[in-house]
Amino acid sequence: MDIKKDILWRVYMIYIVIIGVCILIFSKAVYIQQVEGAKWRNLGDTLHQRTQEIEAERGTIYSEDGEMLSTSIPYFDVYIDFNADGLRDKKGKLFKDNIDSLSIGLANLFKDKSSDEYKRILKQGYKEENRYFSLKKSINYSQYLEMKKLPLVRLGKNKSGFITDSKSLRLNPYQMLAFRTIGLARDTNKVGLELAYDTLLKGKNGSRVVRYVGGGISMPIDEDEQEDAQNGKDIVSTINVFIQEVTEQSLLRMMRENEAEHGCAIVMETATGKIKAIANLGRGRDTSNAKNGGYWEDNNYALFATEPGSTFKLATMFALLEDKKVNLHSTIDLQGGKWELNDKLIVYDAEEHGKNQVSVKEAFELSSNVGMAKLAWFNYQNNPSQFTKRLHQLNMDMLTGIDLVGERNPVIHKPEEKGWNNRSMLPWMAFGYSLQVTPLRTLTLYNAIANKGKMMKPYLVSSVKEEGSLVKEFNPTVLNDKICSDETLSQLSECLKGVCSEPGATGYALFKGSPYKVAGKTGTSLVQDRTTSYVDKVYQSSFVGYFPADNPQYTICVVIKNKKGAKKYFGAAVAGPVFKEIADRLYTTYVKDVANNNYVVAKKDSSRYHSILHRDDIRQLAPFAGVGFNSTTTAEWFEVNKNNKSQEYAVTNNENNLMPLLKGMSAKDAVFLCDEKGIKVNIKGKGKVTAQSISPNSPVEKGKSVELFLN
Amino acid sequence: MMENNTVDRLFTQIPSFEGVKGSVLEKTRGDKYIWGIVIILALTSVLVVYSATGSLAYKKNHGNVELYLFKQLAFMFVGMLIIYFLHKVNYTVFSRMASILLVISIPLLIYTLAFGAKINEGTRWIKVPIINMTFQTSDFAKIALFMYLSRVLSKKQEDIKDFKKGFLPTIIPVVIVCALIMPANLSNALLTGATSLLLMFIGRVSLKHIILTIALAMIPIALIISLAVITYKPKVADEESKKEAILEKLTGVGRLGTWVKRTQDFIYGSNQDIPYQVQQAKMAIANGGILFGKGPGNSIARNYLPQAYNDFIFAIIIEEYGLFGGAFIMFIYMLFLFRGIRIFRKCPYAFGAFLALALSFTLAIQAIANMAVNVNIVPVTGVTLPLISMGGSSFLFTCAAIGIILSVARNVEQAESKPLEPVMVPIVNTNIINE
Repeated sequence: MDIKKDILWRVYMIYIVIIGVCILIFSKAVYIQQVEGAKWRNLGDTLHQRTQEIEAERGTIYSEDGEMLSTSIPYFDVYIDFNADGLRDKKGKLFKDNIDSLSIGLANLFKDKSSDEYKRILKQGYKEENRYFSLKKSINYSQYLEMKKLPLVRLGKNKSGFITDSKSLRLNPYQMLAFRTIGLARDTNKVGLELAYDTLLKGKNGSRVVRYVGGGISMPIDEDEQEDAQNGKDIVSTINVFIQEVTEQSLLRMMRENEAEHGCAIVMETATGKIKAIANLGRGRDTSNAKNGGYWEDNNYALFATEPGSTFKLATMFALLEDKKVNLHSTIDLQGGKWELNDKLIVYDAEEHGKNQVSVKEAFELSSNVGMAKLAWFNYQNNPSQFTKRLHQLNMDMLTGIDLVGERNPVIHKPEEKGWNNRSMLPWMAFGYSLQVTPLRTLTLYNAIANKGKMMKPYLVSSVKEEGSLVKEFNPTVLNDKICSDETLSQLSECLKGVCSEPGATGYALFKGSPYKVAGKTGTSLVQDRTTSYVDKVYQSSFVGYFPADNPQYTICVVIKNKKGAKKYFGAAVAGPVFKEIADRLYTTYVKDVANNNYVVAKKDSSRYHSILHRDDIRQLAPFAGVGFNSTTTAEWFEVNKNNKSQEYAVTNNENNLMPLLKGMSAKDAVFLCDEKGIKVNIKGKGKVTAQSISPNSPVEKGKSVELFLN
Repeated sequence: MMENNTVDRLFTQIPSFEGVKGSVLEKTRGDKYIWGIVIILALTSVLVVYSATGSLAYKKNHGNVELYLFKQLAFMFVGMLIIYFLHKVNYTVFSRMASILLVISIPLLIYTLAFGAKINEGTRWIKVPIINMTFQTSDFAKIALFMYLSRVLSKKQEDIKDFKKGFLPTIIPVVIVCALIMPANLSNALLTGATSLLLMFIGRVSLKHIILTIALAMIPIALIISLAVITYKPKVADEESKKEAILEKLTGVGRLGTWVKRTQDFIYGSNQDIPYQVQQAKMAIANGGILFGKGPGNSIARNYLPQAYNDFIFAIIIEEYGLFGGAFIMFIYMLFLFRGIRIFRKCPYAFGAFLALALSFTLAIQAIANMAVNVNIVPVTGVTLPLISMGGSSFLFTCAAIGIILSVARNVEQAESKPLEPVMVPIVNTNIINE
């Protein structure tokens, strides 16, 4: 007990000391909190809170038919911190154990380097102890997810050193299609719709106060005060993917064939002024686009002003007719195709045709420069401003006002201007020289004729949407309700029809045998610009027109600048076929059926009753339905007729881009067939297919939609 | 010594319809206060750890905070099991085990130094292969050491003042263990050494010898402090790099650089360059009120205070529960120590008495050390707050220590009632239940 007492006093002594320490600790806590408190509290806020910007998501540009033309997609840059703890631990055991499988994984995933190469660069980076080694830029989200599953990477940032920076890239799913018009959403120097509608698309960045937690990670605080980012609005353009594709391909084909320098083709909906397609191809600086023959949408040529040539003769005719200087039957002497105003000023026709007395209409149809020059000269030489005022009446000296930035001003000289010379200006202006207008301007003019004198403003965006709901709608804008008298109008359309239908006219051969009528005008002009002069004999071929001539639906302008010494250079030979190809496709797809308006077969014809069944189905059904089925052939589809006999049925051509014949099929089979070809289906009614909106065996693109009518 | 060692069974010993819970409670013995303290600390732990792991969860688990809650609850469950089973063990077993455990702990410590996992710089941890859990071998060694000390002190009381027979056998294991802990974890070694010396003082080891030991131990510490003073240069722009360079060189020599740096920070720390953790801990304390803090789960400091759920949990307690909460936790630990002393007083057997005392003291001192770090009375060290800091091996070893203390307490109770046993067996049980 003596010992225990001896121990106890020591214990109590230490216990008291410990309590003393406790009091000391407590006092220090009180001191920190009560005396120094304010200082620490203030420090806390300034040290960790920061305002962080929340990036707004850029809106998407949709086509008329709801396809994404330009959208923002998250991309990731991958870096490796080779000094990450996990990699350096245990003399890099983790790194050494995983490098082989990781290299193989990376090579399989990205397919840009062999696994040995990956292994080599990884080892190199590891050796250099690089803390921000750029492994790969701009991988997409699915690659990112895959990468996260790779050995080492899946261990996380701290172990693997893999760091990913996310960013948002602008993606054009249709690549070259209307690329220039849709535009580029780069940080500086945006172009196209991306520029014109930038304020709508970009939205508004938000901000929030975040608190840094360490390790580069921040946590939002006070969600109430967070200012959310307002994501950019979506815009729906008037561009139709199908028409755009047709237009772009047609233009591209001709340009490749003729090795043209650059060109554009624009399709406008006659009644509204909507630009349904706008293709601009040039060689650009980057000629690496071997896929498209070196062509790319490198500039918006539709907005560049050039000397239009013969397509401008429509404006001259307009002035002459509206001023009642002539009528279509007045005669004019073409002097064989050459008219000398004086020694130096000589007007030539495209060829020496040897024709003399012709009607004004014929002169237009032949696209005679002499005819137009003489008519303008003799009718307006005393009052040239009467002529230019008529041009002004057609807005030819003004911008079209299309919703794009960068439309070039037309150049139309006026007698009031200094340096005006009647002799050297007026006759040349009459056939489209000594002035500059954009293809879009010309298109707008022709569209006004097609649209019964009502000039529509061309436009590219039909509505603005926010999360699918309509925010704003853009309606067609009338620039001029009536550009001329009905009489002039009918005379002008007469002339334009004549160009494409009168034997000997410039467009006659092109549209011979066409199932629809075209009204239009060819144009072939010598180019003089920064790089080229008239003596180089570089031609710009153009064709502007509308169809069907009697009930115009679309107006199309094609302008192609040929290379020096091109074999083909006439408007009818270069631009004309592009026009025709586009028109043909539009006609079968949209116009024909709309015009006939009867592609629903309402009549039930029991004598022609038949079903189309798939081979597998018919084999199963045959025994029950008492259908004779001859299974010796390899055909896939069979027609079952009224007598319950089956026979082979050619549903479709082997060529994949042709529309199959679907009549008589069940909805299921029809959808299956269309689906195989990548055609979207819209079904109306129930039962079997009785009609289809795209006629069988006509060319059809993937992604195009077809309407099926069922009985 | 075994409980209820009667020939015939009592009715109360036969498992009844009352169910398992009742029987477990009945079998649970030992100091009820300590049990209560364990439960209070465990509950506090759940609350604070759940809150403090918020940012950790955000960083590592996509905000899945519950993961850490469940982890902590799992640790609690295992910890309670450990306490329960250890308190059922006859504590004399520990006397025999002490030497074995100490012998095991020495190679373990060496292994850790050589191959251990690096967590927060020092190699203090080894991974247990099967359950895949890192554990700090020093925690294990400490328990083994204190058990061994209790054994030696109880056995050598007769010759305790003798240098050869009393002092050397006690001090040698202490020196070995501390020396092995020191390279990776100086503060822990110091704490272990100090606690050991304290126990030796209590165990009547000659004060002369103890002072001599302290004097010897002061040599390396003095070296570090003088290094800190010598290499420290007041903040001048171009001098800064030089100082860093020296420190970097020192870092090459094990963890010496860290120690020197921390000492410097502590000695010279002005407001601008006090260590980040200390700054954050002070902010946490400043944010709490006197009576009530920010309330459970409302800590702000947890977001930047490194190890908020572990080494700096006391600061979070003050932030969320105020100074009052902090004082209450302190009181709980003092109560715990007091109960430990009470067991010592009541225990008639020397080893049991020393064992309860040693383990109670070590836990209390660890708690005090943690709190002292939190309020920046001592430099930053990696010491957890027993039973409150987030689970891990130290939590389980703390539970083991408490289990051993309760085992002694249970035997004390039994011993107190033992004289009655042969005559009136039934009363024994009611006595125990009613106590």
